[in-house]
Amino acid sequence: MQQEVDVAVIGSGPAGLAAAIKAKETGAGKVVVFERAERLGGLLDQCVHNGFGLLYFGEDLTGPQYRDRFIEKAMDLKVNTELESMVLDLSADHTMKVASSKRGYFSLKPKAIVLAMGCRERTRFAIGIPGTRPTGIYTAGQAQRFVNVEGFIPGKKIVILGSGDIGMIMARRLTLEGANVEAVVEILPYVGGLIRNEVQCIHDFEIPLFLRHTVSEIHGYPRIEAVTISEVDEKFNPIAGTERKIECDTLLLSVGLIPENELSLKAGVKLDPLVGGPIVDEIRQTNVSGIFAGGNAVHVHDLVDNVSWESEIAGASAAAFAKGAKLPSGKIKMRPGRNIRYVVPQTISGKEDVTLYMRVKEPENNARIKVGDVMTTKVKLAVKPSSMEKVDVSASELKRLKEGTEEIVVDCVTKEAA
Amino acid sequence: MQREVNVICVGCPSGCEVTLTIDDKGEVTKITGNRCKEGKKYATEEYENPVRVLMATVLTQGSSQPLLPVRTDKPILKTRLSEGMRVLARVRAKPPLKAGDMLVPNLLNTGANIIATSDLTS
Repeated sequence: MQQEVDVAVIGSGPAGLAAAIKAKETGAGKVVVFERAERLGGLLDQCVHNGFGLLYFGEDLTGPQYRDRFIEKAMDLKVNTELESMVLDLSADHTMKVASSKRGYFSLKPKAIVLAMGCRERTRFAIGIPGTRPTGIYTAGQAQRFVNVEGFIPGKKIVILGSGDIGMIMARRLTLEGANVEAVVEILPYVGGLIRNEVQCIHDFEIPLFLRHTVSEIHGYPRIEAVTISEVDEKFNPIAGTERKIECDTLLLSVGLIPENELSLKAGVKLDPLVGGPIVDEIRQTNVSGIFAGGNAVHVHDLVDNVSWESEIAGASAAAFAKGAKLPSGKIKMRPGRNIRYVVPQTISGKEDVTLYMRVKEPENNARIKVGDVMTTKVKLAVKPSSMEKVDVSASELKRLKEGTEEIVVDCVTKEAA
Repeated sequence: MQREVNVICVGCPSGCEVTLTIDDKGEVTKITGNRCKEGKKYATEEYENPVRVLMATVLTQGSSQPLLPVRTDKPILKTRLSEGMRVLARVRAKPPLKAGDMLVPNLLNTGANIIATSDLTS
């Protein structure tokens, strides 16, 4: 890296691309995106299904189409890219150590950094399913890579544990490719992903859906031959006597995503235990000066459109930081209150317009989101953990804050609860 | 003889279960269970014309990339998705192709074309 780098972006998925583009558009000099794979776009290449860009572009695009719009723009703006380049280490003083197929091992010290590493899937070992340890158990995203990029299907008789979006999308995809999806098993009393995917991936193909059930045992060795599924009680423990055995040659796990933050931790970035991603303020700066974060590395999204929008904030802020501009300060804590699992950003300045992103803990009907004494949203017909809630708070509404406010509690309120 | 058809609305996280009452001529005579106007509109469309975009991959020939992602350029009847897949099983995509290039015109006489959603190089 001869020339000084203004903004380095780690990861070239939807978050990284959007951050890099915005950094360029807002006046950053040299912007470099570091990507460990051979191609830009992160996971979008394996997301061949539609539903991308409905909000951002007002069009129904597939993952590769959505990716290409951003890549094209990044190329037009002369964003630099380093492919097959893995960032191995990151320090609070911005020193990055990189291993690259083309350049070997090198280090650089960009003025600002955007963390856009995305997230990864929870595995069998994260949820601890008893039984044998055969082949034929994959995460849903791994199976998605096999089917959509590499060109083979993992099996013909498939059970899917978890009803997250990727799991449901794979249920449809594998069915269309000729496999039999024997069951989708969900431990909660409701589906984990979007309602659109429940209808178009599960009901459309009449795939058996077992709510309040889990896989209580895995059978077979060296290849999986069956699973036992059981109904669960309120504490999610299998209920004796409810077991049923389902023959299968493949088990897919769609049991949650975790923001990827090994590098963030190395740089001393503090994570929010409720979310798994860095604690950020409204300009998406972490506790480490000049290190910003966006996308699924911050919190797991259900729609890519929001990933892009949020990362643009990080990109613009990184560009401003690199130029030495004064950034909004002041840290009022946003505290999750009644039926709110988390709020991002975790702190706000209280002076600028801000969009709050949050998830509820439990589904509720006719609910409003109440942001302290600042504002309350209109009634929402339903809120669900699977659908992120977005609340716009204006600077003029924030004028209602009392001098010296240190914390704002965000509640999900209903008539019954009031 | 009238009958009932249930449709889950996908318009918002509510996921309302909308019930349509259909008379013997196949006309919708009553709609219940929706909680807003959109639900009524969605349920009627979903009953009269349930369409989906078909998206999949096709095998390539002469490319280092084994598969090319494709889609229909407009939604088709959901009952025809499996038939559509059987057509795609016979398609071999040969480079060079650009995203948007047509691979199968007028799939199954639906009026929808199968297009590439990504470039394909050798």
